[in-house]
This record gives sequence, structure tokens and C-alpha cells, in this order.
Amino acid sequence: MVMAWIRFAAAAGLLALGLVFELLAVFGVNRFRLALNRMHAAAMGDTLGILFVMLGLMVLRGFSMDSLKLFLVVVFFWIASPVSGHMISRLEAMTDENLGEILVMHRKEGTREQEHEDI
Amino acid sequence: MLNLFGDGLLVGTMLVLAVLIIVSMIRSVLGPRIADRIIAVNMTGTMIIMILAVLSVYLDENYLADVCLLYAMISFLGVVVLCKVYTGVYLQKKRIKADLGAVEDNLKHQEKNKEGRQQAAGKKGQEVS
Repeated sequence: MVMAWIRFAAAAGLLALGLVFELLAVFGVNRFRLALNRMHAAAMGDTLGILFVMLGLMVLRGFSMDSLKLFLVVVFFWIASPVSGHMISRLEAMTDENLGEILVMHRKEGTREQEHEDI
Repeated sequence: MLNLFGDGLLVGTMLVLAVLIIVSMIRSVLGPRIADRIIAVNMTGTMIIMILAVLSVYLDENYLADVCLLYAMISFLGVVVLCKVYTGVYLQKKRIKADLGAVEDNLKHQEKNKEGRQQAAGKKGQEVS
């Protein structure tokens, strides 16, 4: 009985932590003004928020195939979220002409693209 | 007793996430640029996935975890396709080359834009003086 209560308390704490991260992400997305800043806040919810919510659910669920699937969702998110973030930031960097002094597509000497152009 | 508390915890989590989804959808309508909208929609998808996961524990259904995984994959695919499409739309509108030449063309556009802004600022300064 005591163990069950301890497990419940741990699950509640982890779920609450995940919700706090998600709350901060939503707050940040509404608070910042530029899309590149907003992405910073959204990425936190995509990684830490979903990790803690899924950990809480796994603790509540116990060790089973279900909790393995929930963990798989987290693993997939941690692989997919940086890729989609990169795509969004490239879209913003290409299409926003008022970004100012940030030279996003700067090409250094001797990089791979340079070599590619020589060929 | 513990069962009741567990149900309350899961329902409370779902309620908070629902409120956050509504706020995030408002941001996706308001967002001035297309990237803001994509970010907000992506975040909405993340929270829907969380709700699905909570629901799979709440209803004790196995298949909702699979739905969760599939939703994550389709949401990722949607973001990638939207980004590609809107980049292509922009390049076509500006008649910029889409390949390696795009870098130089884009830099040229940025330079032109900067000059335009400086001229506008100069004009404004003259009007003031």
C-alpha cells in the first residue's frame, strides 16, 4: 500500500513537471515576438515536456509493453523535433527579409559547398 | 481510494492540456508569419499526442499508444512538407533560383532590402530635420 502511494506521488510529480514545461512553452510562444525566438520556447515543450509527461505515465502504468511504446514516442520525438526545428528555422531564415544583421546563410571558405562548386 | 486519485490526476492533466491547446491554436491563428503558424501547429500536435498518451492510460486501451506514435510521425511529416512547400512558394514568388545559386540570390536580396531600409530611415530623418 505504501509503495502504491509512493508510486502515485512520483507519477503525479512527473506529470506536473511535464505540464509546467508545456505551460512555459506556450507562454514563451505567446510572449516572444520573432519566430526564431518562439521556436526556442516551443522546442522545450517538444523535448522536456513530453519526456516528463511520458515518464509520469510510465511510472503510473508500470513495466509493460504499453510503457515501452510510450517511451518509443519520446525517442521518436527526440529524433524528429530537431529536424523539424531545423526545417522551420531554414524557412524563416530564407523568407524573412527583415531579419537584420543575422547573416544566416553565410558560406565559409573551404566548406563542402565551396568544394562542390569547384567541381 | 488510490484509483479515484489516479483518475483525478489523469483527468486534471487532460484538462490543463486542453486549455493549453486552445491557447496554442489562438496563437496559430494570430501568428503574423507563416513560420509562427507552423510552430504553433507543431506545438498543438505535441499536446494532442500527450492527451492521447494520457487517454491510453486512463481508458486502459493498448491501441491508443500506437495511435500516439502514428500521430507523431504524421505530424512530423506535415511540418516537413509545409516547410518545403512554403520555401518553394517564396522562391517562385521572388524568382530566385532554388539550388546552390539560392544562397547568393538571397544575400543579394538581403543587401537590397538593407539599402532600402537605410534610404527609408534617411528620408524619415530629413523630414524630421
